[in-house]
This record gives sequence, C-alpha cells and structure tokens, in this order.
Amino acid sequence: MLLLDIVLPGLVLGGMYALIALGLTLQYGVARIMNLSYGESLIAAAFGALSLYAGLGLSPLVALLLAVPCAVALNWLLYRLLLERLMRRGKDRGAQEIDSILVTFGVLFVVQGVMLIAFGGQYYSYSYLSIPVVVFGTTLAVNRLVALLFAAAIGTAVYLALTRTRIGTAVRAIAVDASAARLVGIDVPAMSGFAFACGGGLVAIGGVLISMFLTFNASMGVVFTMKALVVVIMGGVGNVMGALVAGLLLGVAETAVARLVDPGLTLATTYALFLAVLLIRPTGLFGRAAS
Amino acid sequence: MIAGTTRTLTWCAGLALAAVVIAYPLCVNSYYLALGISVLYFTILATAWAMFSGPTRYISLATVAFFGIGAYTAAVFGETWSWPVVLLAAAAIGALVAAITGLSTLRLSGIYFVIFSFGLAELIRQLVIWYEVNIHKSVGRYLFSAVTQDVLYWQLLGLAALVLLTGFLLGRSRYGLALRAIGADETAASHSGIDATRIKLAVFVLSAVFMSVTGAIMAPRWTYIDPSIAFNPMISFQVVIMALLGGAGSLFGPVLGVIPLVLLFEVLTATLPNHFSIVLGAIFVLIVMMLPKGVIGLIAPWSWSTPADGVTGAAPVRDQSGPLLRVDDASKSFGGLRAVDRVSFEVARGQIVGIIGPNGSGKTTLLNLLSGALVPSSGTIRFGGIAITGLKPHRIARLGLARTFQLVRVMPDLTVAENVAAAALFSAAPARATNRELLDLVGLAPMHDAPAGELTYIDQKRLELARALALAPQLVLLDEWLAGLNPSELETGIALIAKLRDRGITIIMVEHVMDAIRALCGHCIVMNAGSVIARGVPDEVLADPTVVTAYLGGADA
Repeated sequence: MLLLDIVLPGLVLGGMYALIALGLTLQYGVARIMNLSYGESLIAAAFGALSLYAGLGLSPLVALLLAVPCAVALNWLLYRLLLERLMRRGKDRGAQEIDSILVTFGVLFVVQGVMLIAFGGQYYSYSYLSIPVVVFGTTLAVNRLVALLFAAAIGTAVYLALTRTRIGTAVRAIAVDASAARLVGIDVPAMSGFAFACGGGLVAIGGVLISMFLTFNASMGVVFTMKALVVVIMGGVGNVMGALVAGLLLGVAETAVARLVDPGLTLATTYALFLAVLLIRPTGLFGRAAS
Repeated sequence: MIAGTTRTLTWCAGLALAAVVIAYPLCVNSYYLALGISVLYFTILATAWAMFSGPTRYISLATVAFFGIGAYTAAVFGETWSWPVVLLAAAAIGALVAAITGLSTLRLSGIYFVIFSFGLAELIRQLVIWYEVNIHKSVGRYLFSAVTQDVLYWQLLGLAALVLLTGFLLGRSRYGLALRAIGADETAASHSGIDATRIKLAVFVLSAVFMSVTGAIMAPRWTYIDPSIAFNPMISFQVVIMALLGGAGSLFGPVLGVIPLVLLFEVLTATLPNHFSIVLGAIFVLIVMMLPKGVIGLIAPWSWSTPADGVTGAAPVRDQSGPLLRVDDASKSFGGLRAVDRVSFEVARGQIVGIIGPNGSGKTTLLNLLSGALVPSSGTIRFGGIAITGLKPHRIARLGLARTFQLVRVMPDLTVAENVAAAALFSAAPARATNRELLDLVGLAPMHDAPAGELTYIDQKRLELARALALAPQLVLLDEWLAGLNPSELETGIALIAKLRDRGITIIMVEHVMDAIRALCGHCIVMNAGSVIARGVPDEVLADPTVVTAYLGGADA
C-alpha cells in the first residue's frame, strides 16, 4: 500500500515537527525571541542521547530525564545572560526581534562549532528498538512508534498545561499582549524566561526522540530550525492546534516527495509549502487576520 | 584659503590612496595579494548587504545564496562564454532569484523575509546538488581560466568602486531617505506616498546583483567548485558581522568592519582552524550586545544627507467640478462584524467635515478605507473624480489625500525635518511650502534637527500634521488629532485647522472634542455601529434624540 507507506511514516515525522514547533511557539510566540540556534539545541540533545546510549548503554527514553533538565537550564541561562538584556534595550517589537535574531545567529555558530569539534562532520545513528512491526500493512520500526507515542503524550501534556493551569494562562496572556499582561500583575520577564526555557526543553525532547530513528550530523541544526519556523508560521504564530496540523502536513508532504520524487528535494518541498502559505494566507492556516 | 588647502590635501590623499590600492598587486607577494582579495570581496559583499539591510532593517541572511549563484554561473559557463558575458549572466540570474524572493516575501512583515533568507542558501544548495547528481551526474566542477590573481584583484577593485559609488548616489537620492523612512515606520511611509514594496524590491535586487557578480569574479580563484564551497553559510554570517561591526547605517561603515575582521579571520584560520566558528560566533554576540550601531556609531550618529526641500513635479490632472470626495455605499466587514455599513457621503472643496460617534462606531475604519489602509468590502470611493477604491496607500497619498493617525506614527529614528522631507519625496503636486515653513506653521521649527522619537506626544502629533501637509494635499484626514491637548493647546490647534481651511485644504476630522466640532465644522456625520445615523449642522445634529441615545444609551438599550 503506497498511500499508507507514505502517510504513516509521514505522520511520525510530522508528529516530531509539531513537537519541535510547539517549543518554538513558546520561544517566539511568548518570549518574542526568534531563536536561530533552536535546531542546534535539538542536535545537541541528539548527540547527548547518542553518547549516553553508546557509552553507558542508557536507553534514550531514560536519557530524556537527563537531557530535558539540562536543556531547560541552559536555555534559561541563555535568556537571562543575553536575551533579556536585548529585550529591555529594544525600543519596539521590531528592534527586539532583530537583536534576538542576530544574537542567536551568533550562538548558532558557537554551539555548532563546539559540536563539530566534539563529533566531527560525519553522520551518526544508532540502533535502538529498530524492530520491524507491521501496522495497517505497512512496516514501521518500533522506535518510530515509540517516538510518536512520546511526542503525542508530551504535546498533550503541554497543551493541557497551557490551557488548564494558572501559569499556562499567564503564558498565553503574554503571547497575546505582553504590556496588558504586565498590567494585570503578570511578571512578564520571569514568565518569558520560563517559556523560553520550556521551549528549549521541548526541542531537547524532540532531539532525543528523532535521534532514535534518523541519522544526524553536527551541522544539521539549521534544517530543523527552518522546519520549525515554517511549521509555526504555517500554523499561525502562537496557535498550538495550527502548529500540530501544519507539522503533520509537512511531515506527510516531505515523505511523499522523498518517496515519489527524490529524497534530495525535501527541503524544497518545505519551502514550496512555506511560500504557498505566505502568498495565500500570510497569517497562517489558522491565524487570525492581522489588525 | 584654509578650506581650499584642506580640500586640495584631501584630494591628494585620496589620489595617493587610490594609486596605492591600484598598484598593490604589483608590489606584494601572493600571500598579501590573497589578503587584499579577501578584503575587497568582503568589502563589496558587506557594502551591498548594508545598502539594503542597513536602512530598511530587513536583515538578510542570504548573502551567500547570491554569491554562490554567481560562482556557479561562472563555473558552468566560464569556459564556453566570454568573461563579460559570464558576469552579465551572473548578474541577471542573481537579479531574477532576488526578484522572486523579494516579490514573495518583501510585502510581508520583516520577520518572514529574515526567515526565508535564512534558509534560501540551503535551499539553493540542495537544488544545485540535486541537479548536479541527477542531471549533470557529477557534483563538482572544474574551472580552468586564464584569470590571474592580479586581474582578479583589479576586477574586484572596479566592482568595489562601483558599489561604493552606487551606495553614495543612493544615499543622496530621494530613494535613500525613502528606504530609511520605510525602516523607521513602514505604514507611516506608505501613507506619505512612498511605494514601500517597490523600493525595497528594487534595492534588494540591486544589492543581490553586486553579490552575484562578486561570486562570479571570485570563482576562478578556486579552480574546483562544488555546492558546499560556493554556498558556504559562513560567508553570509561573516558579511553580517562585518557590516554590523563597522555600522550598517552608513556608507563606509561596513568597510571599517571588513578590514579588522578579514585580518582576524586570517589569524584564526592559521592558529585555531578548528575553533574558527566558535570564536567568530562569540565575537558576533559581543558586537550585537556591545556595539548596536557599529564602530561608526561611536564616531558619528548619521552620515547621510537630506535631499533638498521642495521636490516638484507635474500636478495630477483633476476634475475641478463636483465634490472633492464622494463615498458611495462603502462597507467593510471583519469576519461577521460590519465595522462600516453602507456609508455614503460627499465632501465639497474647502469644507471641514466632522465625523463623530461613540467609540467602536467605525470612524477610524472609515478613515482607513479612505486612505487605503483597508480595502472596502463593497462600495466605491471617488477622490477628485478618480476612483481610489482599492488603491495602495502610497498612490492615494500621492493623489493628495493625506492623513494623521489616532495612535501617533512618526518615524522615530529620522529627524523632524527628515520626517517631513520623506513625505515630499514622491508627491506629484508642486510643493506649496518648504518644509521649514510647514514646521513653522505647526510650531515645530525650533526642533528641526531633533530625532522625531524624542518629541513629546503633542509635538509628535504636530509633526504628523506637518508631514501630511508636505504631500501638498487637497484633503487631510485628522484622526482625533485634538485628543489629549490641554485647553490652551486646544485653542491653538483649532486655530491651526481653521488656518488650513483658509489655505484651501479640505479636512475630514474624526473627533470627540465637541467644542472643536462646533467651532470648525459646517457639516458633520454621526456614526453608530458602522452606519450613519444623522448628518447636518453640528448644533442640530447634537440635539438629535437618536444621536443622544447613541452616545448615552437609551432606556431600551
């Protein structure tokens, strides 16, 4: 079944994209930081999982317990040490965005350089739970199914935390209007830092899960940053459900092109979709009209 | 006498410098020649980058996309075509890709452009690899060319001179000021008659052409070219660092950043080849944190000159008979909400018409329809006999319909004089007053050279009015221009509006200050929930029971 051969792996990949995009939504939508070094966190987490697996024989799912707190802490430090100062300096949203883009562009090269020294430029992968199972007549590896399951569970948990808790409500309030949030007593810088750190934690989860079934190398972060950005914009900035649908759509479209046309054209597919959405609905598939 | 001597000395120094730069390849060994080539090609790339990204603040991360396109064009055609044709082809392909990218992303907000440019090089690199693997059947290409390092240096030198000259002329032309106006506040710029999308696109394409040609000239240096050499993202990164270190806001800023950084790169590649990108990234973070305006920002805040006052041109032909403005059945819906519902009215020349109504009744939306900020869902708007429904804001502004904003929009980084000059740039009507007279009129003349962002709220409102008047408008839309004034300022404000009417300018004012409406307007229109509920002389209209109910709420509301 060619259709299922495309749709099932596409959904697995798309689930990962949605999870990664959810983290970026927290960083860009809430903390207002366009983090170009986002994909580097993902690759760093993937390398972390690889090292723990190869060196200590730790399961990647256990590695999550280690990777997530580390990523949250590092992202929080990044926010407190560099980005918060820029946020205070910027006169308006535009200036803040430009400064944060530039600084994280620098961070990208630092992190990438460290990884290149540690691991070199070659591709890595490891074999964990790569047992084939047949689902609806399509053969999938167990590791992909486990990754999808985890992504779904974590995504749901984040969604519930955002919509059902006090902190989640505060975070959403900042996403809508930071200055109004300040007026109702929300500590905007602290909550923004928190959201930024959580975004970093989510992308680390994505990195660990992806390392279970994809090959990766030290300079691949840019590609994941791009995909996450495209999904966020396609879904409408700050729209969690939009990011989910856009992520799944992108995963299926890429798998279809890789399978039917040429695996070398997946990034071109991403861009084509991105451009199409920008031209037809600049505010995203589910975004509200700009005021 | 002294000034003359200084000038002669400057010229002599300049000529001597030019001679040294031209003769440089003849005097140095190949190592220093290679260094000179690096300085030159980064100078061109950084200057071309700053030409677009400096004033508009649209950060382009795609330098290497165009550089690589040029290099690849040279690699593919270099051995079959003559060299000038290859350079032209590189320029043409670079321009085409830039135009496509620009057309699809530049009309959106800056962030989309940044993101797209961020991945553009990677996209093109993957497409080139795909083409080479599947169609050309080999990933790398060899380019054997007779171009020596000396000749390569001189080609780059010529191009560098050209890009600096272009930047100089652009900065002095009205397009230079227009670009900065766009960077400061794009909405205000378009309502001042600046065609933001087209100017951004043109300059973006121009800068991409310089980058592509640089790539083509540099291609023979490598002999062997593959996509990872030609589209190395590090180049985009280096260019942004250099331009920002030097200062992207001025013409020679990027050059100031290029020279120290090329030397630093040289030292780094020799001593710490593996840590290159770490050190570079760290330096970059430091520059952004410590030197937001670059080295040149420490010396002089701005080094652009303002074009002369009073740009003139042929006035558009206008139908002098009939009403100046005629609105027929104009409606605007946002989803299910009809913010403006079938509004019709006429405004005669020389009138002051007031639009009043409770908050949320659609007054500002109506002004947005008139000024082109929004396109009506249905209905027509005719201004001076010309249908302006659906025209872009800059077109409407150039026809002589100017506006101020309810929430003040000045271009904060530009001076008061430049804010006004920006509006006069593309105005088709002959200037009736110089910019200084306009600033005098609104009482801002002493603030001529102050950055607009430093004015008080009230002064920013005055500046907005002066900017609107600089378009030499026939009709001015004032959106709550008198709100927030104290009683004596209010009196001055009312007198000023009356003075404008006496100068023959027609005015539509949205206002909550009823004293002003009574004092100025011969006619007013009352809106509620998107529709016109009453019209006529202010005193009668304000006594109308439906109007009172709309404002205060009736027993049945």
